[in-house]
Amino acid sequence: MKEPELVGIAQMVVTKAPERICCMGLGSCVAVFLYDPTTKVGGVAHVLLPRAPQGTKMLTKYANTAVGKLLSEVLVKGARKEHLRAKLVGGAQMFPNLSISVSDIGKENCDEAKKALRQLGIRLAGEDIHGTRGRSATFDLETGRVSITTAFSDSRVI
Amino acid sequence: MRPKDESKVLDIVGEFANVGAGNAATALGALLDIEIVNEVTSCNLLPLSKVAGWLGGAEQIVAGVYTQLCGDLRGGVLVILSGDSATTLLHHLTKEKPNLSKLTEIQVSALREIGNICLCWYLVAVSKMIDSDLIPAPPDATVDLLGAVLDLPLAHVGVKVDTVIAVHTVFKSFQKEFDGYFLLLPEEQMLDVILEKMGDGR
Repeated sequence: MKEPELVGIAQMVVTKAPERICCMGLGSCVAVFLYDPTTKVGGVAHVLLPRAPQGTKMLTKYANTAVGKLLSEVLVKGARKEHLRAKLVGGAQMFPNLSISVSDIGKENCDEAKKALRQLGIRLAGEDIHGTRGRSATFDLETGRVSITTAFSDSRVI
Repeated sequence: MRPKDESKVLDIVGEFANVGAGNAATALGALLDIEIVNEVTSCNLLPLSKVAGWLGGAEQIVAGVYTQLCGDLRGGVLVILSGDSATTLLHHLTKEKPNLSKLTEIQVSALREIGNICLCWYLVAVSKMIDSDLIPAPPDATVDLLGAVLDLPLAHVGVKVDTVIAVHTVFKSFQKEFDGYFLLLPEEQMLDVILEKMGDGR
């Protein structure tokens, strides 16, 4: 089987079956997946930060702007909005002892992504978020399933 | 103030980091009672998406200790050890073989303290060079996928920029299987000070 395409920080990939796409080593970053099971079109945005500053060009770097950008791209590729469902993976707190000085970016990323999904009227179909462990997530456009592995535990599927 | 030539910028920052890494390696070697040597410092200007790949891939399991500089000059500094090296280190210090998937509180604390000592010696050396105070927050440590370890440091630097200057110095020991690297991610203002104090203007 073909290797999945890797999607790095602040990047976005939109494609269709039978492709697979993968976000490797998600810590506080969140992978937002959108999928239309009828056309098997979907995509992922690998977001780093919760909220974009005014006038940013890097829409896929921020949760609040990436979701809208990802939505318009999957629609261009042939997905139908009413069939779309979303999944979220990541948003961990990798260094919890630093929480005195810095905010929990992982949690904020999840919150902003959910808010954006709600505002755009997209149903959240699954999530594997928060905690203190990193994750790798591979999205199979054939089935719409996202399989998640961590550094030391078995994989699970959402 | 800033030289236009990108490779020149990278040379200057590399030289800067080299001195810090030398000091940190000496401290680490003293703690472990082995001789630790640094290899050449490499420095690169990378988009956020490419940093983990440049360091060998997001999927490797590593031990990472991260501290954030929280004074006037900001940035992130990390010590990254390979999984095997973290095991060697913790074994040496705590006299019991650690299970990296489930570190005890005392083992995480040991890792954090090792990082603290190395990173502070790193910062002592570089802050002398630029004649500025660098104030680290107490560090934290974890063992996980490299990509996940880098997320928070990159998020901190990435608030202001889409491409980062990353400087890494590999260290290793010839006596034991032990290797890792120091990683510096300076923010814009820190970079300006480094270039001003160490660049052509000196």
